[in-house]
Amino acid sequence: MARRRTAWTAAAVLALLLAVLFSLAVGARTIAPSAVIDALLHGGQSDAAQVVRQMRVPRTLIGLMVGASLALAGTVLQGITRNPIADPGILGISQGASVGVVLAIAFAGIHTLSGYVWFAFGGAAAASVAVYAIASRGRGGATPVKLALGGAAINALLVSVTQGVLTTKASALDEFRFWQIGSLGGRDSEIVGQIWPFLLVGVVLVLCVARGLDALALGEDVAKGLGQNVAVVRIVGGIGATVLTGAGVAAAGPIAFIGLAVPHIARAVVGNDHRWVLPMAALIGPVMLLVADTVGRVVFPPSEVPAGVMTALIGVPFLVTLVRRKAVPA
Amino acid sequence: MVLRAGRGTFLVHRRAAVVAGALAVLLAVTCVAYLCVGENFVSPGEVIKVILGQPSPDELVVGTLRLPRMVVGLLVGAAFGVAGALIQTVARNPLASPDIIGISQGASAVTVGAMTFGVSSYTVLPYLSVVGGILAAGLVYVFAWRGGLHATRFVLIGIGFAIALRSVTQLFLTKGDYLVAQQAQIWMTGSLNGRGWNEVSVLGWVLLAMVPAVLWAARAQRTAGMDDDTAIALGVRLGRVRLGLVVVGVVLASVATGTAGPVDFVALLAPQIARRMTRTAQIPLLCSALLGAFIVVFGDLLARRLLSPTELPVGVLTAAVGAPYLIWLLVRGRTGSSSGGGTA
Repeated sequence: MARRRTAWTAAAVLALLLAVLFSLAVGARTIAPSAVIDALLHGGQSDAAQVVRQMRVPRTLIGLMVGASLALAGTVLQGITRNPIADPGILGISQGASVGVVLAIAFAGIHTLSGYVWFAFGGAAAASVAVYAIASRGRGGATPVKLALGGAAINALLVSVTQGVLTTKASALDEFRFWQIGSLGGRDSEIVGQIWPFLLVGVVLVLCVARGLDALALGEDVAKGLGQNVAVVRIVGGIGATVLTGAGVAAAGPIAFIGLAVPHIARAVVGNDHRWVLPMAALIGPVMLLVADTVGRVVFPPSEVPAGVMTALIGVPFLVTLVRRKAVPA
Repeated sequence: MVLRAGRGTFLVHRRAAVVAGALAVLLAVTCVAYLCVGENFVSPGEVIKVILGQPSPDELVVGTLRLPRMVVGLLVGAAFGVAGALIQTVARNPLASPDIIGISQGASAVTVGAMTFGVSSYTVLPYLSVVGGILAAGLVYVFAWRGGLHATRFVLIGIGFAIALRSVTQLFLTKGDYLVAQQAQIWMTGSLNGRGWNEVSVLGWVLLAMVPAVLWAARAQRTAGMDDDTAIALGVRLGRVRLGLVVVGVVLASVATGTAGPVDFVALLAPQIARRMTRTAQIPLLCSALLGAFIVVFGDLLARRLLSPTELPVGVLTAAVGAPYLIWLLVRGRTGSSSGGGTA
């Protein structure tokens, strides 16, 4: 098993490197890989070098960060809720970020991507606190079913807030419809600087609970028997997932599917040990997002298909195959 | 309690019958209130006169404007309630409602796409959205079928398609100009605004045609909710029964979506609340229908008046009314189990 895992991890690293190169080289103007590497290492003032450094490098960096953060968030959420269909979207966390952005556009007069970040972040945090607070009240604490139902309830509530604002403020809709689709394009490197600290905090929190997630996978009672504090694992994991989702959504808009699909793929290749699954998810997530983004740049020239649409379209066949091939651990 | 009518027998749960009666009364009161309240208040006496067909000065406001819209609301709500109940039974997952497993999203994608490419006629759009909903459900079913319909597989694949179709819809939203986007946004929220007797007749005939299917479903539901081993041991052809239930649910949800747009949350919430009220093992169909109708009519009543003169789409209110109720239930902690067998 260990050898197989190492081989898969090496393959994933290789795939990630290729995806990064692909993302830097392909676009409206295709640049040879050698020229890409040359531009990165030696600079230069040619048009190609400018395009690579000023447009594609920030875009690729954001893709790396967002892909990894959403994939990790999804993995942890599926682990702590013990629900294979948990992901930041279903639990209402992405929707919280969306509400933050809608309110920022409609009432705070904020119209820049870097201005959205804080609102997206606050919305995500508020939504996940609310979901956990609801689910942990009452008998039995925060059980998986209650978390999922609480997520659905919060999601619906937030969707209705968003729709209420959008149907009464037409100008907000005009701006929001372009944000809500989820895209890596048009983001500058300032956003990278804004989100990396959050990403780091999120990763540390998530890695701390890897063992706890393994124990939880065996069932709540077994986890308690193994000496894990289930509540602490859930709270720390939940905070980590929220921080990661908030950062990811703030940077790129709500990008679907990465958080749902990647954990399943990661578990399929390296098994159920979260100390392997988490790094694997952090590798596969960016590969998926970068490939989706790059393909989206060239499928319908001259217009671009946003990464959020591409991840969904690429992700569905993935998920269908996976779900059909293996009995999903339920 | 067992009801016998010819060859058909129906097991009637006493508590369920009481709950259904109470819901019917609540619904009737809400309907009268719906007809009374508006820009001009009409007294309940006049409303009842209009309903009974007696001459009344308020005939235009009540009979022509409010009544057809209310009837659309009743039918749409009931259809969503039953659809949600059937699909949740088959999937054995409370999250498996038409708005989660891709039916609403299929309808939205086709409708918003058509709007973006210039179709604006409200006589064509409902049919397109029915086609979209049924197509989406068909795809989910085909891809989820593998020698049987495994509940988790069905929900997972449904969610996958829902996500993909939603982003296609969002892509369409960015392609049209913003007036189209705004119109599409209101449709996607779910609204009864401007719906009248035309919609009532189409919807009414379709739903009437579905009554035998729903009666069959009410009986078949009992076996479909069993776990596979028990059902097979009893000789039930689970695959066919489940397919039948899903088809009935999908048609109901698609037709309702075609008429009023995807009124979020009704199909998810009505069956869950109904089951908690009746405390039956199965999701009660009649109570789900009554509750769905109540949620939509009451929601639309609030939607018309809350920010008047601005009218909100009812979908905003159904979620705003429904979500806190679900939250309250969760907080009270009566939710240890879920519909007929956990999150599958």
